Amino acid sequence: MKLNIEGLLVYFPYDYIYPEQYSYMLELKRTLDARGHGVLEMPSGTGKTISLLSLIVAYQKVVEELRKLMEYYSKQTGESNNFMALALSSRKNLCIHPEVSALRFGKEVDGKCHTLTASYIRAQRHSDPDVPVCRFYEDFDAVGRQVPLPAGIYNLDDLKDFGRRKGWCPYYLARYSLLHANIVVYSYHYLLDPKIADLVSKELAKKSVVVFDEAHNIDNVCIDSMSVNITRRTLDRCQGNVDTLHNAIQKIKETDAEKLKMEYRRLVEGLKEANVARETDVYLANPVLPDEILKEAVPGTIRTAEHFVGFLKRFLEYLKSRLRVHHVVQESTPQFLKDIFDKVCIDRKPLRFCSERLQSLLRTLEIADIADFSAVTLISNFATLVSTYSQGFTIIIEPFEDRTPTIANPVLHFSCMDPSIAIKPVFQRFQSVIITSGTLSPLDIYPRILDFRPVTMASFTMTLARTCLCPLIVGRGNDQVALSSKFETREDFAVIRNYGNLLLEMSAIVPDGIVAFFTSYVYMENIVASWYEQGILENIQRNKLIFIETPDAAETSMALEKYQEACENGRGAILLSVARGKVSEGIDFVHHFGRAVIMFGVPYVYTQSRILKARLEYLRDQFQIRENDFLTFDAMRHAAQCVGRVIRGKTDYGIMIFADKRYARADKRGKLPRWIQEHINDGSLNLTVDETVQLSKHFLRQMAQPFRQEDQLGLSLLTLEQLESEEMLKKISQIAHQT
Amino acid sequence: MDEEPERTKRWEGGYERTWEVLKEDESGSLKATVEEILFQSKRKRVTESHGQVRLGMMRHLHVVIDCSRTMDDHDLKPNRLTASLKLLETFVEDYFDQNPISQLGLITTKNKRAEKLTDLAGNPKKHIVALKKAVDTVCIGEPSLYNSLHLAIQTLKHMPGHTSREILVILSSLTTCDPANICELIKTLKSLKVRVSVIGLSAEVRVCTVLTRETGGSYHVILDESHFKELLMLHVKPPPASSSSECSLIRMGFPQHTVAYLSDQDAKPSFSMAHLDSSGGAGLSLGGYFCPQCHAKYTELPVECKVCGLTLVSAPHLARSFHHLFPLQAFTESPAEGFCQACQGELKDKSIFTCPICGGVFCSECDLFIHDSLHCCPCYLIPDGTISVCH
Repeated sequence: MKLNIEGLLVYFPYDYIYPEQYSYMLELKRTLDARGHGVLEMPSGTGKTISLLSLIVAYQKVVEELRKLMEYYSKQTGESNNFMALALSSRKNLCIHPEVSALRFGKEVDGKCHTLTASYIRAQRHSDPDVPVCRFYEDFDAVGRQVPLPAGIYNLDDLKDFGRRKGWCPYYLARYSLLHANIVVYSYHYLLDPKIADLVSKELAKKSVVVFDEAHNIDNVCIDSMSVNITRRTLDRCQGNVDTLHNAIQKIKETDAEKLKMEYRRLVEGLKEANVARETDVYLANPVLPDEILKEAVPGTIRTAEHFVGFLKRFLEYLKSRLRVHHVVQESTPQFLKDIFDKVCIDRKPLRFCSERLQSLLRTLEIADIADFSAVTLISNFATLVSTYSQGFTIIIEPFEDRTPTIANPVLHFSCMDPSIAIKPVFQRFQSVIITSGTLSPLDIYPRILDFRPVTMASFTMTLARTCLCPLIVGRGNDQVALSSKFETREDFAVIRNYGNLLLEMSAIVPDGIVAFFTSYVYMENIVASWYEQGILENIQRNKLIFIETPDAAETSMALEKYQEACENGRGAILLSVARGKVSEGIDFVHHFGRAVIMFGVPYVYTQSRILKARLEYLRDQFQIRENDFLTFDAMRHAAQCVGRVIRGKTDYGIMIFADKRYARADKRGKLPRWIQEHINDGSLNLTVDETVQLSKHFLRQMAQPFRQEDQLGLSLLTLEQLESEEMLKKISQIAHQT
Repeated sequence: MDEEPERTKRWEGGYERTWEVLKEDESGSLKATVEEILFQSKRKRVTESHGQVRLGMMRHLHVVIDCSRTMDDHDLKPNRLTASLKLLETFVEDYFDQNPISQLGLITTKNKRAEKLTDLAGNPKKHIVALKKAVDTVCIGEPSLYNSLHLAIQTLKHMPGHTSREILVILSSLTTCDPANICELIKTLKSLKVRVSVIGLSAEVRVCTVLTRETGGSYHVILDESHFKELLMLHVKPPPASSSSECSLIRMGFPQHTVAYLSDQDAKPSFSMAHLDSSGGAGLSLGGYFCPQCHAKYTELPVECKVCGLTLVSAPHLARSFHHLFPLQAFTESPAEGFCQACQGELKDKSIFTCPICGGVFCSECDLFIHDSLHCCPCYLIPDGTISVCH
């Protein structure tokens, strides 16, 4: 159908539309019109992504039209074909080279690819034809760049097919085509991780619209991309790297001293080139490459290759000595810099150039397999970051893990506490950035922790023809013992027994699949062991089979597969998993795979972690977010993620059980997404297990009644005529909840 | 104390929120949306069934009754098993009332096994006796959907192609304990053209959805006892015959009932063939129905002759099956006021139903009754007493 959204013609590929989709597009359009950023929350399974794409495609077309003015105006309808969209992934997923693609790990593929395609390898081939190169890359390089990818929509398989047909490397083809693609789909890391963003995304046009879909975890992604963890193993490998570098320098000195001199001269010139590029606003800024160092030349102390390697050695020795501590050390970056100056006389300035200098050296030495040098790259990145940012980072050295205080396993955490550092260049560079997900509540916290000013913030509800979700807060067992996973009652026998009872009773009345989430692996292990002793597990197994998520990926995927099989053939199954685990983030339990989800306890993050404590402190000082607020926010977004796994559309239905009395409090409840909150009434707070069972039984019977598309039509599903009626438009305007 | 110890007290039973059945919707009326949808589907059933479709009038139906642990649940009074068996008794009666030349068999499943309660037979009495006896069954273990279906097709697959093969499963449990992959069995059922319908007593189970969708049956879940009854009654009406089912001529015998008196010298008392295998039952009698082919005696019709295999029916039986072929036309729905011509009650519903031929108006309840049970409009019975056909 063709929609008219405030004057913009949008092609929507379905005959029917949900009211909230229309509302979503409306808000999105307003954001783009204002050239600002937005935060939008809409329940999963209500067609968020299609609304996004429909509008953005339409919007881009308008931009196109404006630029090309009236002459194309008449052709407007015929123009829809020259549109290009493509997905980008790592070499691992895109490689079609028979040997390279057979490798199992992403790192290996990257390394091998590099040895076949690096420019100096290819240069060597000119003189010596025996040097192996990748023929797909050669072919692409020879002709691929002249002929652009034909317009169309490409997913990874399409790209590979196209690559095979033409004999071109799909990975480089995709990377090259990014520049003239209308829509690019890739993982967050390609934009947020400074190392990758520099390679892939820096040439994206300034007018691009950036959409972070499923962005409820974006702050953690930002933080992870900027944090560095250094263990003893890293240092050992780094030592090896430095030795290799040293040898390579010796060798090149004997054979090709001119090359090193060339490099030296280039470094004297400074990083002017990069500076010019940034000033003319061609590239996305790289947070690892601070503005100041672009204006300066590389300091003399590390300009020659040997000096630089010596410098690295010194730095390495210093880090080794720091790891030899016997107690936990926490210090800020200025403290660290002062210490390093006192002890080994390393100045701040050369540290800042460390990352750039290493890149330059690796280029000069023509080292093919970059993968081997990940350790030294990591250390040099750390050096640059630690000397650049005096705020937002903290250094924590732990001599052992908390759980195993006798085993020495020193780790240096260089942890980023401010997600806005990584994402800042994105907000600055691009005209509109949209953050959207099914669970973003409370909306106002995201702009605060990511430090940007959105023009729209809206949360949408689900319009439903029938109430297909049933959130229940269970606060007490049948014996009136308060249910809670809080620390004091964690080991309480009565609580564990009542939790077991809840699962047992639910397993008897819920058909097919139940997913249960615990707050952590340790907690799950404790509880399951205790249930086993009490014979509860045995009783549950009479109703359903039990599967358990473990930290091992292969085991978990096996368990998942069997779980689905058991749901499929009527035996019924329970999956015990962990909030923040793989299951809670990536796996959907549609229809019979998840008829109920039980959240045992509030999934607070492990609060004793020093990194978390430091981050909380920082949030309090910098953003005036109270520790408790942030912890609750974080716990509730994970809880919402977990329970949201079961509703994946309007024909789906599921029970959501929050088994902890703390959920009933307004501060917790208020942080759930609006589409869940709406269905929690006073009658579903602080229930006992018995009451829960009765309510669930009733709900399941109601939901099992036949439900057809006609029942939805006009209420939660609209045709074009219905959409355009006055009354509906008025209703739609209420769906979006502005904050 | 006259109550059995295991039966819990009323106050020990489940916590019920009876007031929640009444729900106010946006306009303030006390009608829950789900009920509204249900009403719509009820109406739909009436209107849908009135096409000129070929119906399979000779039915072979196996009813599978779940006797697992979950049947002890008290949400139907006094428990699920007793309530279901009670309803099944009326179902069996209605079934033979509406489908006199059909057969029915009962299967129970518990403790991972399936057992035959009664064989496929055309006599309601035997089934009802078996059902009455089954009330005392101990509900134990898990049911096995696979085993029960497997048992049912053992007999159904030998039934001739022109009859319908049906299985109705009353499933209370949410789990099934199967010895093999049920998907294979579903394929077999499909190839044998067995229609499986399921009535769930607790919630929607995926495997039943697949089972019924693949085999062309229906799947419903009960809301309460009255809804359960309604759903059961849906299965009284013969299903449309699949177009691929073969057509064939069937030999049938129409034996006359001979009445003999003791005074009659020629009359010799004899056993009924139907009671030979059962130890109890009627003994010697004088009169009865004699098979026109082999003169075996039966006291009741319809029956399949044990000696020569001829189907014995009486003419009224065939006539009774007739209304399925020429069903009463659907009444038109319109908003109006007045009195229902059937029950004489005031028409309070928002819509009433008018017979398109005689113009009589009826309330929705009477409309359903006329279409489901009477099969003719009460206002225009043609004087000679035959059923009028609206064509």
